[in-house]
Amino acid sequence: MPDAQTLWLISPELVLAIFGLAILLFAIIWRERVYGALAWVALVGLALALAAAVNLWGAHARLFAGMYAVDMFALFFKIVAPIAGILVVLISMDYLRERTRYRGEFFVLLTFAILAMMMMASSANLLMIFLSIEFLSYMSYLLTGFLREDRKSNEAAIKYLLYGAITSAVMLYGLSLLYGISGSLNLGDVALTFSKSADTSVQTLALVATALVLAGLGFKISLVPFHQWAPDAYEGAPTPVTAFLSVGPKAVGFAVLLRFTLTTLPGLPEFANYWTPLLVIISIATMTLGNLVALRQTNVKRLLAYSSIAQAGYMLIGLVAVNLGGSSPFSGLNGVLIYLFAYLFTNLGAFVCVIAIENATGIVEIPEYAGLVKRAPLVAALFIVFFLSLAGIPPTAGFVGKFFVFGAALREGFLVLAAIGVLNSVISVFYYFGVVRAAFFLEPKDTSPIRVAPLVTLSLVVTAAMVLLIAVYPEPLFNLAAWSMAMLK
Amino acid sequence: MLDRYGVIALFAFVAILFPAIPLAMAWVVRPKKPNRSKRTTYECGLEFEDFPQAAQNVWVQFRVQYYIYALIFVVFDVEVVFLYPWAVAYNALGLFALVEMVIFLGILVAALAYAWRNDLLKWV
Repeated sequence: MPDAQTLWLISPELVLAIFGLAILLFAIIWRERVYGALAWVALVGLALALAAAVNLWGAHARLFAGMYAVDMFALFFKIVAPIAGILVVLISMDYLRERTRYRGEFFVLLTFAILAMMMMASSANLLMIFLSIEFLSYMSYLLTGFLREDRKSNEAAIKYLLYGAITSAVMLYGLSLLYGISGSLNLGDVALTFSKSADTSVQTLALVATALVLAGLGFKISLVPFHQWAPDAYEGAPTPVTAFLSVGPKAVGFAVLLRFTLTTLPGLPEFANYWTPLLVIISIATMTLGNLVALRQTNVKRLLAYSSIAQAGYMLIGLVAVNLGGSSPFSGLNGVLIYLFAYLFTNLGAFVCVIAIENATGIVEIPEYAGLVKRAPLVAALFIVFFLSLAGIPPTAGFVGKFFVFGAALREGFLVLAAIGVLNSVISVFYYFGVVRAAFFLEPKDTSPIRVAPLVTLSLVVTAAMVLLIAVYPEPLFNLAAWSMAMLK
Repeated sequence: MLDRYGVIALFAFVAILFPAIPLAMAWVVRPKKPNRSKRTTYECGLEFEDFPQAAQNVWVQFRVQYYIYALIFVVFDVEVVFLYPWAVAYNALGLFALVEMVIFLGILVAALAYAWRNDLLKWV
């Protein structure tokens, strides 16, 4: 029977569950009359959940028979998740008012999606991992297809659903094999079985099983070759949802991948010999394919989709080069966490720019961005900030992330991987600045100024400020990442 | 060990016998008058072959309401799956489980209320 302490430890999740249901009930009872207010209720809920997560900082506990880990690693993502949620709510209010009658449901689904993200970050049990991933996936499918009258939105949701269902099945098969090997669903026990067993057949089977699990997680993170859903889903989904999909599921997908890899696999002595090359290949393929295909995109949402695929490739370098033993500031893992935090604000910021333009004019094609600097100077200027950060050029947050990730790769001797990463960053500058070139140097057909809604401007300023702040004063984030990963050692 | 499996074998035997006996009895005593509609797979009176060629295309559109009904059915389905074990173990679990069950049912009722309020329970 859970006591008050247990309830306290899951307070962020409880807050979100209660607020999600409350929003649903308000939407049922008062319908259209309160749709405008529900966004604010969601904001309050997310802010409270954020406060609860910050308040729990330093906790270290296993709840519910070891299924649920409340440690600083999980709390790092429980801080990231509501921040993403708050920004998405801010940018979706105006967007939805124009496009759909069902605004209440949107915030229910979004609140539950953030709840699912938190549950994923805390999962320390194979079943819990699967259930929370499915929970987040269902919310994502529904949000993707939220514009019911829009064929593209429907198409995106169907593609996302079909792809997700298959990868889930593959992952479930892998999880069942792991359970079959170890007789336990808890990650710690699985690791223990691995380390005790000298049987080579167990090693082989474990290798197959973990590869299958990687398929499911690779889908959430959009790693090549599990990335095909991303461009279509990103293009068709309502743009605030695209912004959410590009950071939320990706961040917690990495959380599960890191926890799974770093707690389960050290038990397998031979494992690094297979696992590391596999991750290296996936990382290189993800970066390169994402960047090369992005070169040819003309739709800005598709461009950012391929760019976010490439970003996942960079982050994976940190996992390849992970070394929790030494006292070096480049442990790989902290690189991933810092990168994710920087990426959260950078990518959301880039999408806020896209939404600011799309809301006012409906434009999502890059050639139509011509002369943006004259029509919406703030948006055009901040596009540069976010694209600099995505390309990893100082003084922006993206540079700090890439610095720690590539630094870890160099320290662990993955010179070729680091070189390919840097080369890819150079390629990415080309297409990012294709957008900037259109915005600044091409002559506009229509010179009427674009009005940006106040809340969107607010999100723009907040994300841009964070991107610059992380770059000039990375110390708090650096400490945050160091404490978070200490828990996984 | 072995006699425990013996119990399972006994159960399996009885389980097979249980439906087999009435089926066999019915087969012995019933009148045998087969006709075409009786021999069809589902005995629903509508057969695929009876339709004109044009209507045999199976790529038809279903009313979306069938799916919604199926989804709402899941609400009750999930409810029953948890209510039965809870009811069986009710005495051992006590007040805490009762409160938990009320919360659980509350969440499910919210789903039903949502469907009701949006007129999804009316067949239009």
